[in-house]
Amino acid sequence: MSMDYALVLHQTVFGGLAALGFGVLFNLGPRSLVWCALCGATALAVRSAGLERGWSLEASSFSAALIVGVVVQLLRRRIGVSRNTLGVAGCIPMVPGGFAAKAILGLFALTSPTLENPDSTLIQSLVFSLRVVFTIGAIATGLAMPTLLLRLRK
Amino acid sequence: MDRFNPEVKQDPLEDIAMLSMEFGRWLMECGASGAVVDEFVARVAAGLGADRADLRVGYASLAITVGRGAEVATRMCKVGSPGVNQRLDQAVRTLAQQVEQGGLGCAAVRSLLDRVVQETPRYPGWLVDLAVGVACASFGRLLGVDWRAVGPVFAAAALGQFFRRSLARRQANPFISATLVAFVGAVGGGLGARQLGSHTVAAAMTAAVLLLVPGVPALNAQSDILDGRPTLGSARIVWVAVMLVFVTAGIWLGQLLLGEGR
Repeated sequence: MSMDYALVLHQTVFGGLAALGFGVLFNLGPRSLVWCALCGATALAVRSAGLERGWSLEASSFSAALIVGVVVQLLRRRIGVSRNTLGVAGCIPMVPGGFAAKAILGLFALTSPTLENPDSTLIQSLVFSLRVVFTIGAIATGLAMPTLLLRLRK
Repeated sequence: MDRFNPEVKQDPLEDIAMLSMEFGRWLMECGASGAVVDEFVARVAAGLGADRADLRVGYASLAITVGRGAEVATRMCKVGSPGVNQRLDQAVRTLAQQVEQGGLGCAAVRSLLDRVVQETPRYPGWLVDLAVGVACASFGRLLGVDWRAVGPVFAAAALGQFFRRSLARRQANPFISATLVAFVGAVGGGLGARQLGSHTVAAAMTAAVLLLVPGVPALNAQSDILDGRPTLGSARIVWVAVMLVFVTAGIWLGQLLLGEGR
């Protein structure tokens, strides 16, 4: 399967920018903002590469979060006590907010008196909801695994 | 190590309990997970002279039992609205590590904690507004928003963040505030995108409100459950779900107004 490198690069750049913007909102220090942008870019690069390889969104998001989690743990001497927060901030661009909105909008639509295809609306809404739950679960598990493994080693 | 020594003047356990929880409260309000709160509160309590500290981390309150020799004290405190403030989180953790080394009394630690809380810098509001605009415009591109809609998404999200700060200053209910901000962001982003001839107006409306998606609490909820705190994790999940419903209500009202998304 061929990979669209331009798309991966695009997602990497905008993943980094999104993480940087959220880093300012989360009041990360100026030095941490650079790490945050790098975490966001890494996360989106891995996820996009996974999606290009034909992986599911959940598997790609899990791999991306796992790699970000490992990287922040490996760089803990440079990053300091904020490494877990940085990992979370870096993975924020992968949180499926758009899917969540579509899922709830679908549920709102189900109550409309003029709805034409209630079955397909319900199924679509359910699919979006499941994708939100599974993707957030995958991101959080991927991020937590390196920390949990390190705790076991201690 | 037994820290109990009756020859040395020690702070009352009640003071140790309240001050240790104060660290936990700040960490909770800055967006830390339950495991982090538990760890740092225990380190502070140990540094202040407690032999043991058992913390219960709830969504809206903390309860702690600290002990020293045969003495035991249990106290509880409220936790305010959840937020994310990484620099304050880091400063509180650094101070906790310093306290853990020992040698500081409760009065000195309280004074240091007050100073950390007051002096930890924040970015100016206008910079945060612009950064949120950049973040949402980038999110828009990740969601497939076309280039014509990027500018409107940036402007609408920045305006939404400005509005959110204004509502927070007035201590508006966070859920009602989320609906209002989502409505303003969605309408602003949608109108701007439509005026500029974008073909992705509905996606632009969604992208402009992604500043409201509670990503950190959502990830913390999962971490809390994985760390063996299902009660705290479940409470966070409920908060996240209700917040998403209120945010989506704002988008829905915006779509009704603009006739989009049908």
